[in-house]
Amino acid sequence: MAGAWETVIGLETHVQLRTVSKMFCGCSAAFGAPPNTNVCPVCLGLPGALPVPNEHALQLAVRAALGLGCTVHPRSVFARKNYFYPDLPKGYQISQFEQPLATAGSLSYLSPDRGIATATIQRLHVEEDAGKSLHDRFPKQTAIDLNRCGVPLIEIVTGPDFRSPHEARTYLLTLKQVLEYAAISDCDMEKGSLRVDANVSVRRVGETMLGTKTEVKNINSFAYVEKALTVERDRQIAVLEGGGTLAPQTMLYDSKTNGVRPQRSKEESHDYRYFPDPDLPPLVLTEQFIAEQQTLLPELPAKKRERFVEKYALSVTDAAVLTADRNVADYYEAVVHAGADAKTAANWVMTEVLADAKDHADGLRVAAGALANLIGLVRGGTLSHQAAKRVFAEVAERGGEPRNVAEALGLVQVADTGVLSGWVSDVLGAHTSEVMRYKQGETKLLQFFVGQVMKASRGKADPKLAQRVLEEKLAP
Amino acid sequence: MSDPSEALASAKAAADRIVNVKRLNACLTPIKELRKSLAAQASTAHPSGVLYGMPVAVKDNICTLEFTTSCGSKILEGYRSPYDATAAAKLKAAGALIAGKTNCDEFGMGSSTEHSAYGRTLHPFDKTRVPGGSSGGSAALVAAGAVPAALGSETGGSVRQPASLCGVVGIKPTYGRVSRYGLVAFGSSLDQIGVLGRSVHDAARVLSVISGRDPKDSTCEDRDSLRLPNVPESLQGFVIGVPKEYFPQDLDAAVRRACDRAIRLLRELGAAVREVSLPHTAYAVATYYIIAPAEASSNLARYDGARYGPRFNGSEDVRALYRTTRGDGFGPEVRRRVLVGTYVLSSGYYDAYYRKAQQMRALIAQDFRNVFDRGVDLLFTPTTPTPAFKAGEKLNDPVAMYLSDIFTVTANIAGLPAISVPIGRIKGLPIGGQLIGQAFLEDEMLEAAYALERAVPAAEEA
Amino acid sequence: MSVTHDEVRRIARLAELDVSDEVLPLLGEQMSRILEYVAQINAVPASEGVKPFVPGPDAVRFRADEVKPWPLAFGPAEFAPAFRDGFFLVPKLGQFEDADT
Repeated sequence: MAGAWETVIGLETHVQLRTVSKMFCGCSAAFGAPPNTNVCPVCLGLPGALPVPNEHALQLAVRAALGLGCTVHPRSVFARKNYFYPDLPKGYQISQFEQPLATAGSLSYLSPDRGIATATIQRLHVEEDAGKSLHDRFPKQTAIDLNRCGVPLIEIVTGPDFRSPHEARTYLLTLKQVLEYAAISDCDMEKGSLRVDANVSVRRVGETMLGTKTEVKNINSFAYVEKALTVERDRQIAVLEGGGTLAPQTMLYDSKTNGVRPQRSKEESHDYRYFPDPDLPPLVLTEQFIAEQQTLLPELPAKKRERFVEKYALSVTDAAVLTADRNVADYYEAVVHAGADAKTAANWVMTEVLADAKDHADGLRVAAGALANLIGLVRGGTLSHQAAKRVFAEVAERGGEPRNVAEALGLVQVADTGVLSGWVSDVLGAHTSEVMRYKQGETKLLQFFVGQVMKASRGKADPKLAQRVLEEKLAP
Repeated sequence: MSDPSEALASAKAAADRIVNVKRLNACLTPIKELRKSLAAQASTAHPSGVLYGMPVAVKDNICTLEFTTSCGSKILEGYRSPYDATAAAKLKAAGALIAGKTNCDEFGMGSSTEHSAYGRTLHPFDKTRVPGGSSGGSAALVAAGAVPAALGSETGGSVRQPASLCGVVGIKPTYGRVSRYGLVAFGSSLDQIGVLGRSVHDAARVLSVISGRDPKDSTCEDRDSLRLPNVPESLQGFVIGVPKEYFPQDLDAAVRRACDRAIRLLRELGAAVREVSLPHTAYAVATYYIIAPAEASSNLARYDGARYGPRFNGSEDVRALYRTTRGDGFGPEVRRRVLVGTYVLSSGYYDAYYRKAQQMRALIAQDFRNVFDRGVDLLFTPTTPTPAFKAGEKLNDPVAMYLSDIFTVTANIAGLPAISVPIGRIKGLPIGGQLIGQAFLEDEMLEAAYALERAVPAAEEA
Repeated sequence: MSVTHDEVRRIARLAELDVSDEVLPLLGEQMSRILEYVAQINAVPASEGVKPFVPGPDAVRFRADEVKPWPLAFGPAEFAPAFRDGFFLVPKLGQFEDADT
């Protein structure tokens, strides 16, 4: 039975760094250019060309390492990983092997099963991307585009720390959040700027030795992470329960069939013959360089969440929603700094603001100051909550100051007792039997009268004031 | 020279001289193309350049926009580089004329220029003999008087060894002195562009122009270009070490005589000469033949028939394309070294071979530092164990061929500058003596070389 | 140090080199001799504390993150053996192999 098995997963995530040029040459790293136009002697692997590393790529890599609590090594070494593949022009990839940039980090995430859990980051290293092979563009031929070749990547390797496909996915989302926060990567799986391979094994609950692991590749969307890992886990359990044994192999996930199949490849291809790249002297980072990256690292989501709970008295859940995106978190704080009540501002941001942002690609359309003013209008009784939502939508769409917009839309609540008295008299005159019942003690009818006044005023009446005038007029 | 008509005359004369020595098979560029290009280059060359109008031949493994860059290999037959090597660009900027591409052992792998897909180069004095290698074409052209200087490249002695065998000057600068951008890589941590010249001065002038920083090569030092020293009156104050390991019991008697004469002349010039020891010398060739093939196996992985160069026997399958392209495109020596290099890096062998060789490299470099730290300025040794050998003599015995680099590989392993200067003849064949200098002190090394060159009767029997 | 024919074949596959059966014996013999010769460095006592030496700068220099491609006098269409619609073309992977992506 499945319950007797424990799943063990480790992830290797490749993340494209947000630079304008490639890792080892001055070609543009932009996505989507016509094939083989962002190329030069270096990334084409022409005879005689040599690599020169991109400073910003290393700054971002160090920031990522610091953000994940890694030890950044002041001296690391670029190494060549040798293998033949059509989209690898030099016949080797420049990566790091024996002496990586950073080791021994960790990332905490909210496990759906275990609460706060911590993934160990075993290593983080810098490398260059390969090009793209298109196998179905021309019959019998593979088409090669080397635009992506040489784009800077970091590889982040975790320990075998995840106990379910769901945990692995949660970790990945948390990692993505951190990397987006620090502007290290776009983390767009569809564009290939974040790619993940998983090592999966299962073992009997209580067993301490790891089972035979397989590597699952070709998971190319966040939506498939959990599916692919679940399929592979279930396959492994089925094999073992059927008395079979597992082979340590690479499995390719197919999202169309939601299945996995072993990758067919020559066994020699795994002898990568790593050795230090003689074209690149050691990567030596000064204390100052590393310290500078630390100062350029923004407050990361976990820290911000804690602070929001403490400073703004928010629930952990609300703080998590507000800090999921750095822009939203900054926006929320700006609304509060502009004078809005923290709790009310949180509600507004989590509902109206996020809903609007979801429907519109142009981001947060109502300025933080404007939202604070709007919240103030509700608090001061000038606008009803319902009216304020309409003003919000209008400001989002066409801009303007909330008060002016509210006035233009005729949504400002009428707080003039004279005007209100008129509406109250009309309502009472039209509902004489209800007035009788009220006077005989059926006082809950007061809300009915308030509703009628709101209706008569087309929502403009200040409901609190209307209630007070009604109570006065109905008094014995 | 600063007149365009003189540059044109110089270009034409160089082309004529190269035609006259066509039988040597030293220059791979078709003569018609060479004439046309030289005339075009002469008419656009910068008259203010320090090498204005000087014809300089370039080894076929250095990328130039002019001519093909085939590295003496079938796998790059007809390949035209879409960019200039930094050294070639600097030559042109100084007004020099690229006077054709010279024959070499395939990808620089060899010591005789017999391992070229385009036929062997003949020794200019004796056609049955080899000119040395791998920069044999450059050495032969200079020795035959066709050009005053030529670019070569070194991984284990490929400039100095042919210079010694052909009776010309060959300089290998300090690793990092000249940009490797556009030098087709063989053993990246050992490779360096060098210069062959009629005289120390011709070679040094060219070296000075091509040296200096280059943002395109991470291993090139951030230094100004080399400043040429004056020819010294004497070598007073110089301490020259003679490492005993370079004069073994079984050293060729005539080579020893030539060296003894040169040492005597250095003393007479005022230098203090001391015997020194470099104890790890015996392991240098073995160390070299691990590191160089290992790096080569990776550097030559890019020649797979996918992006440039000819394709051999079209195939349905990309692996078959790789195997036939590389199997047919590489000659036997390159194949051997790629296999040896792949072997020493492969799983299970890395520690015993590559890692150990890296440590040996440190020990050999430390030997030199120890000697230099004790007040020695330069070392003097024979450049080669023998004069030019017969063609075919070592072709089927790779280890014997490798041992002809025995006195030159150490400077590549330790990254030091070295120069070979003709010091005499042995039965009519030239032989060179080597000065090894300290890192980035080429100027001192050149001073001593100037003095030695002037004093030594290089054309006389030793 | 003797290299077996199977080992030569395995290494040749790793290096993607065709080695015909005719040349195999000679090649095996030559590789064995070369490897035997170079293995003499193992006669030097284990040198654990010796740090590997590589010439050149002690630390790599960086390049500013700017789009400034190294010059290419002419494009891939001019030197590629097979080029179509902007792509390099190679024969497909063998039937016993899968594409990675």
